[in-house]
Amino acid sequence: MKKYLFIAKSQIMSNMQYITNIFGGFIGFTLILIILFNLYQYLYSDPNELINGYSMHQMIWYVIITELLWSILGGSKMSKKIANDVKSGNITYNINKPYSYVGYCLASNIGDLFLKFIFYTIFGMVLGIFFVGHFPNLNIISALIVIVISFLALVISILFITSIGLVSFFIEDASPLYWLYSKFILVLGTIFPIEFFPVFMQKILIFSPIYVVSYGPARLFVNFNYVDAINIFCAQVIYIFACYALCSFIYGKGVKRINVNGG
Amino acid sequence: MAAKNQIKVVLMSYKYSFMREMLNKTSFISGIVFMMLNNACMVGQWIVLFTLKADFGGYGFREIILLWGFAAGTYGVAHAFFAQAFHLSDLIVNGKLDAYLVQPKNILISVITSAIIPHALGDIIFAYVACFIYSFNIKVFLLFTLLIITGGLILTSLAAILNSLSFWLKNSDIIADTGVSAVIFFATYPDGIFHGLTKWILFTIIPVGIANYIPVRSIINCDYSLILFNILACILFIAFAFIIFYRGLKRYASGNLMSARV
Repeated sequence: MKKYLFIAKSQIMSNMQYITNIFGGFIGFTLILIILFNLYQYLYSDPNELINGYSMHQMIWYVIITELLWSILGGSKMSKKIANDVKSGNITYNINKPYSYVGYCLASNIGDLFLKFIFYTIFGMVLGIFFVGHFPNLNIISALIVIVISFLALVISILFITSIGLVSFFIEDASPLYWLYSKFILVLGTIFPIEFFPVFMQKILIFSPIYVVSYGPARLFVNFNYVDAINIFCAQVIYIFACYALCSFIYGKGVKRINVNGG
Repeated sequence: MAAKNQIKVVLMSYKYSFMREMLNKTSFISGIVFMMLNNACMVGQWIVLFTLKADFGGYGFREIILLWGFAAGTYGVAHAFFAQAFHLSDLIVNGKLDAYLVQPKNILISVITSAIIPHALGDIIFAYVACFIYSFNIKVFLLFTLLIITGGLILTSLAAILNSLSFWLKNSDIIADTGVSAVIFFATYPDGIFHGLTKWILFTIIPVGIANYIPVRSIINCDYSLILFNILACILFIAFAFIIFYRGLKRYASGNLMSARV
């Protein structure tokens, strides 16, 4: 465990040197929120009107949290890095190290996201107050629970994206798989809560990764209750173990196919 | 004659870029197919939105599909045929323009046409599918083709202008990425939902209004004056891109970088 903490710490230290890079991403994040803010303003004729149980203010906070989780992740870069490691043969530098490659990816990416998590969260809250004017009804304990659940959501996303990147062992370019995954999360899990979809889809989505990586944390933020928090937390723990096992399985199968020419 | 030669060089550049990308056919084809699916997935959000409201800023579902067609088409044309315009900043900052400077052809055209992005072809195919869903009509097809080309050229020019700022500014790639992303983000939402300052920005600083919204309106309303306006705006953007690039090029200092273009 100590070595993984060290990997994460090294990554945080490295990112501290390029802290201004984080702020560059705020512009894209703000643009998306401006679009969705306008969209919801158009959709809701009255801010207090409820659509599928959500007021306009709740929808704006919901989308701020889901977009925050997506923007912090920077999944495209993450998936490409793993795929490039596999394709270029750089992965061999990690094979002979005394750690699990999946554990290394997880620790390194958590370190990578740590500062983004802090700065984006602060920025997102400021934007939310600017758009909505007030904060959702959360006390310190519930806010802390939402932060923990959001962090676990990011861990699950990292593992999902790692598994996509590792598919590069078997196919030349895994980016198309990442595009589909990202659209699955963006369309079904970011812009609307699950309640906006037809009933038959809701039953499927509740068991899909969307429940643990985007809907869960955002739903808790806008409408916190302890029963939902426990359900989401339990589902997240199951997903973390399952995703870690999936990554290890793909890596285990793929690493046998590796063929690196010296140079 | 010079123009004919330039076109010949550009076509050859495309030919070799395609041959290079086609080395791995599975990856080439899967990239295109997945990009089409990727765009199709995003239409899903509008299916949900139309269950909540009948129209969005004067756009019904068919018009939204046409808007998506334009967004994909302009992006596809710009990235499939002028991909390097979006990476110009990297070439300038890292002194990689040298290889193009020695060519006896127009430098900006040589640079921006020197690579293709195969999956952007998936965007173009998707754009035509969307166009046919909107209306299976030869007039619409021809206008659509003309307008995704002008839209693609406007997007390319914008990318070239913003990336050329690297001749003067450090880290201008962030400005370029943000400007281009803004056009892409806004292009898939109807202009009718935006008001006030946001709408003004969309027709001026971020030219998504000119590249996407005006073409969509011109096809829906069959308004030829808007098409003419779009073409004139496209010419102005291209001219501006050339002026900025060549002004900046005077400041370019070679990185003395030894590299091979394969």
